[in-house]
Amino acid sequence: MKIKVVFALLGSIIICMLGIAIGSVLIPFNDIIAVIGSKVLGTAKDAGIDKVTLSIIWDMRIPRVLMAFAVGAALSVSGAIMQSTLKNPLASSYTLGVSSGAAFGAGIVITAGLTLPILGFLTLPLAGFIFGMLTVLGAVAFAASMDRSMDTNTIILSGMVFSLFVNAMLTLMSSLKREDAQKLIMWQMGSFSQKSWVHVMIFLPIAFILIFFTLFYVRELDLLTFGEEHAKAAGVDANKVKWILLGLSSALTGCAVSFSGVIGFVDLVAPHVVRKIYGSSHRIVVPISAIFGGCFMVVADLIARTIISPSELPVGAVTALVGAPFFGYVYFSGRKR
Amino acid sequence: MKKAILLIMVAILAFGFISCSKTDSNVQLIEDSNSVENSSGVVNTKDRAGNDIEVPKTVDRIISMAPSTTEILLDLGLGDKIVAIDRNAKGLKGEKGLDEGVPEFDMMAPDIEKLVSLKPNIVFTSGMSNLEGKAEPYKPLRDLGVCVAEIPTSNSIEAIKEDIIFIADITKTSEKGREIVESIDAEVDKIARIGKDIKEKKTVYFEIAAAPNMYSFGSGVFLNEIIELVGATNIFKDYNSWINVSEESVVAANPDVILTNVNYIDDPVGEIKSRKGWENIKAVKNNEVYYIDNNSSNLPNHNFVKAMKEIAKAIYPDKY
Repeated sequence: MKIKVVFALLGSIIICMLGIAIGSVLIPFNDIIAVIGSKVLGTAKDAGIDKVTLSIIWDMRIPRVLMAFAVGAALSVSGAIMQSTLKNPLASSYTLGVSSGAAFGAGIVITAGLTLPILGFLTLPLAGFIFGMLTVLGAVAFAASMDRSMDTNTIILSGMVFSLFVNAMLTLMSSLKREDAQKLIMWQMGSFSQKSWVHVMIFLPIAFILIFFTLFYVRELDLLTFGEEHAKAAGVDANKVKWILLGLSSALTGCAVSFSGVIGFVDLVAPHVVRKIYGSSHRIVVPISAIFGGCFMVVADLIARTIISPSELPVGAVTALVGAPFFGYVYFSGRKR
Repeated sequence: MKKAILLIMVAILAFGFISCSKTDSNVQLIEDSNSVENSSGVVNTKDRAGNDIEVPKTVDRIISMAPSTTEILLDLGLGDKIVAIDRNAKGLKGEKGLDEGVPEFDMMAPDIEKLVSLKPNIVFTSGMSNLEGKAEPYKPLRDLGVCVAEIPTSNSIEAIKEDIIFIADITKTSEKGREIVESIDAEVDKIARIGKDIKEKKTVYFEIAAAPNMYSFGSGVFLNEIIELVGATNIFKDYNSWINVSEESVVAANPDVILTNVNYIDDPVGEIKSRKGWENIKAVKNNEVYYIDNNSSNLPNHNFVKAMKEIAKAIYPDKY
């Protein structure tokens, strides 16, 4: 197990380095190290690196790769939590309406042309996050009021009802405001283009704290996987824990979606693959899902921006294109025997 | 409206090139032997997309469902004969004889009943309305016997001139049409004469949609032709048609000049200059980022001359 974990860590570092190196211009590893060295440690000036290359590495590639990694990690952990809490291998925060809610929030901001006074670039992410969370909380609260025991199926169904309803409002809005529809579609498609250090500085700590916080609940997650009766017998207040976990999970997705748009599939695939390889103890699944999801996203983004260079594909298209067959392979390969 | 134009531009991306090659092989002007005038004065010919059309004897109730065509019609002196325009041409109302109260329609989904009730004898469409796999929205008009002339978006100066001649011919204003084309030729010649002597060509990045979904173009677009005429080089000339481009590819190409015709944000030039990591691009360092009039650089018609002059002055201020 230790070896596998070390392997995962090493792998993630290599993938991130590749992500920084490959693009419309190939950058040698020692240049990257030199740039990071000079920027972070303030040592050895630019070592003769071209100014343009410097801004490509430091202002574009590195923030982009870090952002992709963090978003991938956040989505995967969120998926792992949802799958275990709702005991449904297909559950994700998207099922509970995070993305529809976030898109609706973004839609309101775009069509109304609102901007926050000082931190204008945060208007969309903030609106997306708030509406995403509201939708999930609404769905869960609705489920709780319908069904005291908060049965997982009730939660899922109520989530779908909420997300479909919000989706309908979104459709209505974009057909009434045709000229903004394009912008909204672009926002929804998801992309890591134009992510700067500001985004990284805001998102990275949030994602890290939320994932770290999740680690305190690994025992409860294990117990919930076995069933509520088990959890209750072990002295876990199932309903309270569910609220916390669903909240954590939606906050992770909500943040990710607000900053990068809707990117599907990672949250579904990563935890399953990790469970296949590392077993299903959440003490391992949660952190390794984060690493695996992060790497997966970095690779997906790498493909998205290089395959039809100088154009870019929406990263969501790549995650599904690469993810679906890969997932099929991993998930079903064990079943043949 | 500005955003709508952007939307259309993006829509052109996919089909622009296809329609271009289609029209080139089907250029049929009225004088061609194929045009047959029958006893009632109806002229049988082909429109710019190669469809057979019957042009009525009198053309005095015109509907134009494309802003570029509307501008051409106005300069042919037909403003008072236009009975409906598309919504994107709203800004032209009240100009050059176009009535303030002329009704507007959504060119992608026009209210056909209302169009019919206006009793047009000719309808100009852009062919763009045929996108998205939907049935052609103007077919009912055609079935009713109204002459629907399709003018696909042109992607070269040559094709733009042919469009003008075509429109002029079917609206019986051939002479005026030829005048416009001659003045285009004169202006293009003037620029080309200076442009061809420029040896040290500056590289140019032309942005038509701002971050985060930046769009530019390669060859096969009239703007690329203009950049070459002026004596400069488009950094994406090796690509075809309209393309969305990544930030990195622009920074890596390190253009000498950046042009933008983005008009849906407040300060497009300032926005480009303030982009993170762009400060080391030559154009930004030397403060050579310029705004080019949106309408004239956007619509494929004779007004491109205005954009051409602006582009020439922006890239080589000492030569033009």
